[in-house]
Order: sequence, then structure tokens, then C-alpha cells
Amino acid sequence: MIEAGTQEKGDALVIIEESDKREVLVESKIMAIYGEAIRKTVEEVTAGLVAKITVKDYGALDWVIRARLEAAIRKFKEGVKE
Amino acid sequence: MKLRRTRLYVPGNNPHLVENVGLYNADAVILDLEDSVPIPQKFDARILVKYSLQHVDFGRSEKWVRINGITTSYWKDDLREVLPYCQVINLPKVESYEDMEMVDAEMKAIEEELKISPREVVPIIETVRGLMNAREIAKHPRVTALAWGGEDLTADLGIPRKKALILEYVRAEIVFAAKANGKQALDTVYSNIRDEEGLFEYAQRARYMGFDGIGVIHPNQIEIVHKAFRPTEDEIEDAKKIIEAAELAEKEGKGVISLNGRMIDPPVVERARKILQFAEVE
Repeated sequence: MIEAGTQEKGDALVIIEESDKREVLVESKIMAIYGEAIRKTVEEVTAGLVAKITVKDYGALDWVIRARLEAAIRKFKEGVKE
Repeated sequence: MKLRRTRLYVPGNNPHLVENVGLYNADAVILDLEDSVPIPQKFDARILVKYSLQHVDFGRSEKWVRINGITTSYWKDDLREVLPYCQVINLPKVESYEDMEMVDAEMKAIEEELKISPREVVPIIETVRGLMNAREIAKHPRVTALAWGGEDLTADLGIPRKKALILEYVRAEIVFAAKANGKQALDTVYSNIRDEEGLFEYAQRARYMGFDGIGVIHPNQIEIVHKAFRPTEDEIEDAKKIIEAAELAEKEGKGVISLNGRMIDPPVVERARKILQFAEVE
């Protein structure tokens, strides 16, 4: 399992776990307003990735979610260790 | 030369703080990948800064990134990720001309590969060795300004920062090293964000010491520093007269500029131009 992002205001936390099937979970306090838009971004950026992808949104703008997704995917694929 | 009275440091891994940087009117905004980013967040921060540079409105502020120092394993990855999207690389703990050459080579490779224009470097002098080599470092063509950092330097000297008596000498050395090479000199930050009077005095002192600007750590500091760097009305009036005299001499094809019977030397004209730039007079 890898993580990217934080739980701070204006940020998002992306978690990617190994799995046999593709699964996308989105959690947001403002799910009713932005849930669909966030899901669309997640689907677009992670297209083709077979894993369990969880995005916890803390009021992040679209570019922030994209940045956290890219970081998470690259760490997941490249096995980046800090 | 660009106005660099204020350069606002913003932690690179905090999107909430980065979002509004364009509203603050700083001359430059530095997205920081170094000291404000804990080691486990270095990778995420680098990607976030890349996106910030592309998606956040910086207003009139120059886009700078402080990357990690060349003794770390991060600096090359930092450069590769952010260089295409920023204007200036702020490079910590530079100690020699050779350090600059090493970073220059890495930047050149990226710039040639991506066919982008050469970016500037503002090295931060924060070790005794760096200070001793500041005059050489400032000669590097990539360098457009010299900055310095007190915390690491006083630690390197083994003296407490607040009681350090040597810092005025350090400041003078940074100004001489920069100015001897036609570069800007940038003073360090004033860290008490509540003391507005102290900040104004600090910034004005930096100005009269020969610095072109100081670092700021809170948006509230920006306007105060700009005010401190604003020349007085008398200075502005004198500068206007000097520039008018210089323009008149040029128009009349005279080699010598004179004002009220007094000869004006080229450095005086240059200073007048700088005063008007600081006054933001066209």
C-alpha cells in the first residue's frame, strides 16, 4: 500500500493498494457537490490501473487531486522509497 | 533588472498555502522543497510543486523554487520535475564556483532536452566556505542574485544567531560579492511576523546596506517591506532630474551630463534609474 498527499485542509490523500480487480473509492465531506467531478478526475488519471484506489478529499482543487494521483501512481509503479 | 524587494517563502507541500500566492503582490514567490518539507514528503512535494507552477495564478510574482541542496539525493530529481515551469532556481548551501558548474551542467542538459530557455539561479550562501567563495560564485553567468542564510551560517560558526556579532560583516561581504559582478544582493528574512515596526527598520537597513530585497515568511510582511524599499520623495525628485539631464545630454549628443553646473557620472545615472525603479516610477 502506498499513500500520497495529506489530510490537511485543501489537500487530498490518495491510497493505492494491490488488488486483482480495479476499484475506485472517493470520500469527501462535500460529496454531494464535488463527488462526481472528483470521481471523473480519478477515473481519467488512473485509467487502466488495476488496483484499489481510495481518494480522501479535504477540499482539494482539481489540480491538487491530479498532483496527488500522479505522485501515488508513480510511487506505486516505481516502488519509490523516501 | 527585476524588482526583487520581496521573495515570499511558501512550503511546497501545502496546497492550501500555495493556492492564493498570486494575491499577495510579492515580487517573487518561492515554492520550497527544502527545509519546510519533511523527508517522507519530498517526492509528493516535488510533484505538487510541478502542478502548482502550472495551475496556480502567480499574479505579478516571479516563480521561484528552492530545491534541495547538492549534498542531498533529491536535487537532480527536483530540477528535472520543476525546471520547465519556473523562472528561478533558489539553490541552498552553495559553497563554490564548482558547485554552480555542477548544477549548471544538470540544468543545461534538461533545458537542451526540453528546448526551454535558460533559467536563472539564485544561490544561498549559508556556510563559512560559501561566504569565502561568494565573490567567485557571483561570477557564474547563471547567477543573477546572491542570497544568504543566517541560521546555518551561525551554526557553522558555532555561535548563537541572536548574539552573533559577525553578521553585519557577512551582509557587507554578500553585497560586495554581488555588486562587484553586477548582480543583485538579497538579505535574509525577518522572522518575527508580529513586529511590523521591527520589520520596517530591518528592511530599510537592508536597503541602505545595499541589498535589493529581503526574504519574507508571511504575506503581511510584503507591503511593509515594499514601503521600506520605497525611496523618499526627495530621492525620487533628484533621480528624475538626473534622468532628464541624461536624456537631454543624449539627445544633444553631448558626452558629458551636467545638472545645475555639476557633472553627473554614469554610476550616478544608474543609481537614479534604480531609485525610480524602486519607486515604481516609469
